Amino acid sequence: MSEVALPASLEEVYAIRKREPGAAVLAGGTDLLVRMRADGKKPPVLIGLERIPGLSGIAIQDGVVRIGPMVTHQNLLDSPVIRKHLAVMHEAAQVLGSPPVRHMGTIGGNICTASPAGDLLPALYVLDAEVEISSPAKKRVVPIATFITGPGRTILTGQEILTGIRIPVPDPGYQGFYRKVGQRRALAISIVSMAALLMVSPDKTVRSARFAWGSVGPVVMRFPDVESSFAGRTFGPALLADVGRQYSERIRPISDIRASASYRKMVAAGLPLKILEQ
Amino acid sequence: MKKLHDAHGATGIPDEKGEGHFHTKSDLPVPVGSDLFRADAYGKVTGRERYAADEYPAGLVYAGVVRSPHPHARILAIDTTGALACPGVIAVLTGGDIRGTNRTGLPEMDQPVLADTKVRFTGDPVVLVVAEDRELLRQAMAAVKVTYEPLPAVFDPDSALAKGAPVLHENRKEGNLLFSGVIAKGDADFAFSECAAVREGIFSLPRQEHAYLETETGVAKVDGDGVLEMIVSTQSPFRDSREIAAALGIPPEKVRVIAPYLGGAFGGKDGITVQGHLGLAALHSGGRPVKIWNSREESFVSSTKRHPGRVSLKLGCTKDGTLHALSCRLIFDTGAYAGLGGPVAVYGMGHAAGVYRVAHSRVEGMNVYTNNPPSGAFRGFGIPQVIAALEQVVDMLAESIGMDPLEFRLKNAIRVGDETGLGIRMSNSADIVTCLEKARDHPLWTGRDEWIRQAPDYKRRGVGIATGVLGIGYGPVIPDIASAKLELLTDGRFRIYAGVADMGQGNNSANIHIAGDVLCQSPDRFELVQPDTFRCLNSSSSAASRTTYSYGNALILAAGVLKERILDKVAQLHPLFRRENLILVPGAVRHTPDGSDIALHTIAEAMQEADRVATATWTAPVNRQQLAVAPDVKMYGFPHLAYTFTTHLTRVEIDEITGAVAVDAYLAWTDAGRIMNPHVYEQQIQGGVIQGMGYALWEDFRVTEGAVVTKNLSTYILPTSMDVPDILSVPVETYEESGPFGMKGVGEIGIVAALPCIANAVAGAIGFRVCDAPLTPERILTALRRAA
Ligand SMILES: Cc1cc2nc3c(=O)[nH]c(=O)nc-3n(C[C@H](O)[C@H](O)[C@H](O)COP(=O)(O)OP(=O)(O)OC[C@H]3O[C@@H](n4cnc5c(N)ncnc54)[C@H](O)[C@@H]3O)c2cc1C
Repeated sequence: MSEVALPASLEEVYAIRKREPGAAVLAGGTDLLVRMRADGKKPPVLIGLERIPGLSGIAIQDGVVRIGPMVTHQNLLDSPVIRKHLAVMHEAAQVLGSPPVRHMGTIGGNICTASPAGDLLPALYVLDAEVEISSPAKKRVVPIATFITGPGRTILTGQEILTGIRIPVPDPGYQGFYRKVGQRRALAISIVSMAALLMVSPDKTVRSARFAWGSVGPVVMRFPDVESSFAGRTFGPALLADVGRQYSERIRPISDIRASASYRKMVAAGLPLKILEQ
Repeated sequence: MKKLHDAHGATGIPDEKGEGHFHTKSDLPVPVGSDLFRADAYGKVTGRERYAADEYPAGLVYAGVVRSPHPHARILAIDTTGALACPGVIAVLTGGDIRGTNRTGLPEMDQPVLADTKVRFTGDPVVLVVAEDRELLRQAMAAVKVTYEPLPAVFDPDSALAKGAPVLHENRKEGNLLFSGVIAKGDADFAFSECAAVREGIFSLPRQEHAYLETETGVAKVDGDGVLEMIVSTQSPFRDSREIAAALGIPPEKVRVIAPYLGGAFGGKDGITVQGHLGLAALHSGGRPVKIWNSREESFVSSTKRHPGRVSLKLGCTKDGTLHALSCRLIFDTGAYAGLGGPVAVYGMGHAAGVYRVAHSRVEGMNVYTNNPPSGAFRGFGIPQVIAALEQVVDMLAESIGMDPLEFRLKNAIRVGDETGLGIRMSNSADIVTCLEKARDHPLWTGRDEWIRQAPDYKRRGVGIATGVLGIGYGPVIPDIASAKLELLTDGRFRIYAGVADMGQGNNSANIHIAGDVLCQSPDRFELVQPDTFRCLNSSSSAASRTTYSYGNALILAAGVLKERILDKVAQLHPLFRRENLILVPGAVRHTPDGSDIALHTIAEAMQEADRVATATWTAPVNRQQLAVAPDVKMYGFPHLAYTFTTHLTRVEIDEITGAVAVDAYLAWTDAGRIMNPHVYEQQIQGGVIQGMGYALWEDFRVTEGAVVTKNLSTYILPTSMDVPDILSVPVETYEESGPFGMKGVGEIGIVAALPCIANAVAGAIGFRVCDAPLTPERILTALRRAA
């Protein structure tokens, strides 16, 4: 059995980690506990973050939405700020796990787990989110794409913990979409997922388009050169089919127990068309 | 979904205590045929009901099994010294420590409790460790050293049957062939040449995992009298007690098996799971109770699965659409041990003509040993595999001759008195015709073209039907006997000693319904004793859609006996009352001329203990038709006497982008005799259909080189409530004269037609067939792209 600590401040967290370098940070536990059971390894101390003020809550200020890492997926769904300004993230939270998982799992956990299949990640990438990292020594803010370095890997070192997520509110002209394909309709790990932000003028001309793809590479993938090629084109099925074709050629998915690489490419080729589905 | 007991006006509601019985608002008996609130519902939803997994007796120790990492290997040496030196270790046991035969299984006793000379699948039990707690157990198990010499292995039936293939069981003269048999009628080979149209298909069917909530578990201890007592999650307590005794070398009367409500089983606990290990551990734990509770991963590795296999089926008809010739060849993979492989193959073969009349047929079946995890019983018992093939070829053939698939089925469907395609005379209740007619007239069928036309962009739609049939009971040779025991308690209530385990289907709740109806008593006047080989009478396993069918019949008899004794007693106590003026009413016997009641507890107190306990035995009638089949085909269950029937209809929508099949609507018309309890009936149909949908669309238990690939519920994909639509169950009632209150078992029929029904709808939508199940999105999309 591991000891469970429920510190009330970040300073306490740092103190415990100093004393017990093998201690693990516990948010909702929906990834950590599963992994501990699978590996049969038990950290000496589990440090729960739930009692630390400032790690939860969603606030909007100066055009930036700040989300605490302990915000659960259900909190995201319930938040009018997220629904209004970050629709892509609302859609992603809707298809994550199941009701119990959404009530326990957090955005911070989803980010730190750094799974290419993490459902919030494509939304965070497409929104150009930044994450705030704190340690006794300093605080730093880095783009999400810098934070995640590989499957299950982040730049967190030593004492550092994730203390916030900052998302610039996109221009209100953007519409956000999240489309996920899994092996079933709930409790499904993504086989391919796609977040999109689209700005389309009334005459259907695409002014800006951003796409981020999950589960098709070691980390969530964005290709700025592909994105920029869509501006000026006419929005519609033909364009979306072309978007799919282009990304399908660029992504380098792997085959695993859930899907083959070729299936992932086939699905990616059609996935943008699902933006047209309600 | 509607609240069932409200909607159906059930009278039973649980009492506050939830002590395994319940109150009725009106204190009235609930007649068979109307809804009775399930006796187990309240205890289960409140967590009070104790499953085997919930037992933690004082002084408990834990046992665990060290399993083979090789699919096939000789054991060169087992070194237990390291494990014995670990802290908290109570015993480290090998095959050499077993005094009995060290073999379990039925009908073939070929499965060791612990491997002796070799291992035959990845996961085969080799060493049993008993320790003070789970952590110490884990450490000690890791310290066991087994030296293996890997042997060549076989992983599919075809290679297992090839000349020179490695043999799993050297003592068998048939090598790896566990079973082969033939059922034939007329001259199928020639008859195909007389057909106007012939279609053929080869279908591959996956392994299916039972995935019951409660993994295999139990506790056991040896008491002061030397009795090995076990509380275990099992469908077959009586058979288990005999198998445990023989395998471990203890007298059968010294083995007591208690089977509380199971947290699901579906066939996966029909026979030994952990019982042999539990018993052996208890014999070496110094009298302390021992617990085994498999993790989900260990359950996946060690438990049986639905037989994977290949079914090749050919069907021909004449110009007017009359089925004329059938040939079917099925080959199943039984894995490392026989389990119920012989009977499963025969049940499959025996249903290969489905619900149809066919003039000529030839059905060949084989079941083959491989170094894969063992296969065994699973709801439907070989029949879903065969119906999957038949019902798809029926659709193909209807298309070939330009007939509507439903009219084609109706034209060939059996009626009472007909001879089936396998020569079975339908002597008992059978109404597939009404099932089909109701489907034909249903708006989802008559309006199907319109619905298909309205498919949105990037979607394709299809509507499919399929029929199914399932024989109930054990067949003509193995006696299907149930013995009921019922006691009038001194407080005037009744106690039913259930002889058949209740794995969740509600059969022991049904016992209250049945006895209450016969004795005119409200449900709250009953309590239930779950199967216990020392207290209840052997009524065989919870299987073969025979639980309520057989035990119910025995219980009707026992209740009748008890009723007579009670009335006799009153007549004896009151010489002025005439026997024919006495009736049972709730809680009392009434003297009708003056309406006076004598309370049951008064009568009970006046009765001898022996008189208050009534027992009765019922033996199922069998089909005595003389069909020319080999003795083992007959023994393994061909033919049956009474059958259940079903017609399924589904609408599916296929996503052209992902290949996913969404089941939009599902209906099942079922003849399972008379309905005893509408909501329990509906639950069985819905549960069966959903498990069938899983089989059709998602569930694919994958094994590579004998090793489990889908190791847990994150990779073995079961449907969730989001994946299945509402399932409408429409009973087509018949009266089965051999069944209690005219019923037939309804536990399995729901699963048999789901796969082909969905596959037919999918084929309609995409214009061709995907013959490898399950029809996963990846398979469908790959096929669509290839076709394009
Ligand atoms: C049944 C089930 C279904 C699931 N379905 C989905 C799904 O559909 N989509 C999906 O994306 N995920 C899914 N998940 C995964 C998981 O629920 C999510 O990734 C969730 O967001 C993890 O959050 P958590 O709070 O539970 O993380 P935890 O398990 O508590 O933590 C995860 C990791 O992050 C670290 N960590 C957490 N917070 C911090 C912090 N502030 N600073 C530093 N390190 C931190 C922990 O130490 C740990 O290593 C599922 C999980 C389960 C069990």
